[in-house]
Amino acid sequence: MDELEIVFDQSFIHQLEEIALNDMPTSSWELFKMAYDVQKFTLIDTFDGLLAVDYLPNLTCLPHQLNTAKRVIEHMNGRAILADEVGLGKTIEAGLILKEYMIRGLVKKVLILVPASLVNQWVDELVKKFYIPATAFRKGYTWEHIDIIVASLDTAKRAPHCDDIHNIDYDLVIIDEAHKLKNHQTKNYQFVKEIKKKYCLLLTATPVQNRLSEIFNLVSILKPGHLGNYEAFMDKYAKGTPTTEDNHYLKELIKKVMIRHTRKETNIKPSKRHIKTIWVNFSEDEQTFYNRIEHELGNKVPLLKLTFLREICSSREACFMSLKKLSDKVKHQKDELHDFMNGLQELPQHAKAKKVIEIIKDIGDEKVIIFTEYRATQYFLQWYLEQHGISSVPYRGGFSRSKKDWMRQLFQHNRQVLIATEAGGEGINLQFCHHMINYDLPWNPMRLEQRIGRIHRYGQEQDVYIYNLALKRTVEEHIMNILYKKLDLFERVIGELDDILSRLLITDLESEIQTIFHKSRSTGEAKVKLNHLTTIIQENVNLHESEG
Amino acid sequence: MALSQLDHFFSTYFKAHQCDVHLKENGILKVQLTKEMDQALMNRPFYWHYMEKTGQTGEPMQLTIITDPSHPDQQPGEWGHLGSPRLQQIIDHLKMNETHAKLYHHISPTTETPLYPWLVTNIKIIYQGKQTREELFSIGLNLINGMMQTNMMEALNTLSFQRTIPDFCFPLSPLIRLKSGYRRIENVLKQYINDQDHTWVKETLDMREHELSLLQHFYETGDEEHEALYKKEETDIKNRLQPKIHVHVINGGLFYLNQSFQHNQK
Repeated sequence: MDELEIVFDQSFIHQLEEIALNDMPTSSWELFKMAYDVQKFTLIDTFDGLLAVDYLPNLTCLPHQLNTAKRVIEHMNGRAILADEVGLGKTIEAGLILKEYMIRGLVKKVLILVPASLVNQWVDELVKKFYIPATAFRKGYTWEHIDIIVASLDTAKRAPHCDDIHNIDYDLVIIDEAHKLKNHQTKNYQFVKEIKKKYCLLLTATPVQNRLSEIFNLVSILKPGHLGNYEAFMDKYAKGTPTTEDNHYLKELIKKVMIRHTRKETNIKPSKRHIKTIWVNFSEDEQTFYNRIEHELGNKVPLLKLTFLREICSSREACFMSLKKLSDKVKHQKDELHDFMNGLQELPQHAKAKKVIEIIKDIGDEKVIIFTEYRATQYFLQWYLEQHGISSVPYRGGFSRSKKDWMRQLFQHNRQVLIATEAGGEGINLQFCHHMINYDLPWNPMRLEQRIGRIHRYGQEQDVYIYNLALKRTVEEHIMNILYKKLDLFERVIGELDDILSRLLITDLESEIQTIFHKSRSTGEAKVKLNHLTTIIQENVNLHESEG
Repeated sequence: MALSQLDHFFSTYFKAHQCDVHLKENGILKVQLTKEMDQALMNRPFYWHYMEKTGQTGEPMQLTIITDPSHPDQQPGEWGHLGSPRLQQIIDHLKMNETHAKLYHHISPTTETPLYPWLVTNIKIIYQGKQTREELFSIGLNLINGMMQTNMMEALNTLSFQRTIPDFCFPLSPLIRLKSGYRRIENVLKQYINDQDHTWVKETLDMREHELSLLQHFYETGDEEHEALYKKEETDIKNRLQPKIHVHVINGGLFYLNQSFQHNQK
């Protein structure tokens, strides 16, 4: 075997000669024997199997997690996309794989790139659960000197870090929320592609398997060429109509680099979700105002009509901000806009806000998360809760990492309520909380699932309670009834819906729905169209289920 | 003795380093460290540096290790389990420090007794392909007559040794030099490796070929700008899938044994 490299240790015998000759200090028999015993005990005597499990006595892994780690190490050679559904413990899987490689002595230098909000959480889990000495990157640290470093992708890709990183040979690179790398023309993608790495794990909860260009790009990071080159791949699968055989072949190829478990397969029902829809009626004044926006203002600025309607369903403040922005921009009709703004100010306190107070009082002393789509609503709610003696903290995507950590801590120990905007939903783990109020519903069901995933995830032992607010006789009623209720979205695991949508070539359900509202001349027409859309989806869901 | 009895393991280790060890009950171990052990394990260089500078003696710390977490009598201490940082630290410390020995058979003869020199080597063979696997050998070589003995440590296990020459004993000078003795052991291992089934090497190489050809196919349309990236990926694959065998002496030494040792082995 010419290709086989064999290296014999020569240093030992030289040293022994020197020691014997010069009577230098040597080991006692007890310790010498112990060192041998330890070597014998920690010997890796098989190519297969997971040794890590024995080293982690206080970590209980689920079967699918062990299975994933084993498959990645034995069959995928440490290069894989881990694509389990949200909340099945992808971090645990990655930790297991890292630990295993470390025990086997195959990995020393590790780079872990995660969203900024998750850096500390990752370090925490690796240190406490896996006894892996991971360090969070901080200003002034050097990349070469820390063996296991956790940093945010945004930090890492910036100069001068990016060059430093590209100069290091990493044994293992882990990237959380890897769907951020789906576009090969972005800086993120180029940056990651150029990192020198032996093993690589990409973690994503978004089911990429049906989005061809995304899966292609992710696979190209792990195994360039596994799916052919870009042009050929796109010609065959995206532009052309691939045969069933082609598709089958593609699926097989993808299986070699991706592991995806669904909740259904794993039978994990750690705790129940109790979902309540809470209908709220606008006061008479509010309803009148809503109708005015729909008919008067809506006719003048048809493109913004929907935005205003959704905003007034959330808070006066949210609507006010947009009206103000518009009036600053336009030249004519200013008076009319001002008239609307004044009208807003005369409205009573928002009906939903009042309801929220009721709900929180009913819940009692327990922690509550409120999600809203609008920043203005977030401010308003914080103020409004305070008026009612309820303490709260805000949380949103734009906060710095330390502020996020601080807010999370405050919420956990000192405050009752956390008010988050959409962007704040990603990644943060709030399992100590069991109540969630969706102050306004996102039009993209995946986002709802992500929200719920903050408290209802792997490891949650208590039942969780989700309260969804919706205003009667508004656009919210349609969304709630037609989209969520008809598709049974609250009960269903949304991951599978996402599969179906991408099969129907609907990449963004939200914009799809918006288009329906914009292009319809009346609410009735919009309802009919929306109904059609959901019927098509429902049929596919049924088909999907009958397929198994 | 192995790591399956951690109580025993910890206490042997600390006792061998001259620490006072109190095994309170099964599962809880109290250790008074010596200065040397404190410096090796407790990670407080500044304290010792400061003590030294100010001419003070310093006070080594006490360590409480709990090996049985279900122990009803909960008290402050660290949980020492397989995989715990403390055990890992001790293992590393052992592997790092206990590499060479020069030991004499502990016997108390009444007449002049010769002791035979043996080269003892404990050797790890690391096979690195798609995965890693290791083998451990303990080989002894009589440096007078060239006789080789496998499972050497197991054969020595029940004997006791000391670092000074026992009374009435005289060590014989080796006829085989240490280096050539080691070469003999090396040759035996080379033969052993050659006689092995090398399927794993082939598998690794096949995989490498496969990945390299995929890579080539991927960059086939190859514009110049991707050349660097291609080279990088190529090197990555070659490094990752290079089958390798590393023969590493984990520890070993010169052992002077009574003649009866060899007779007993036969």
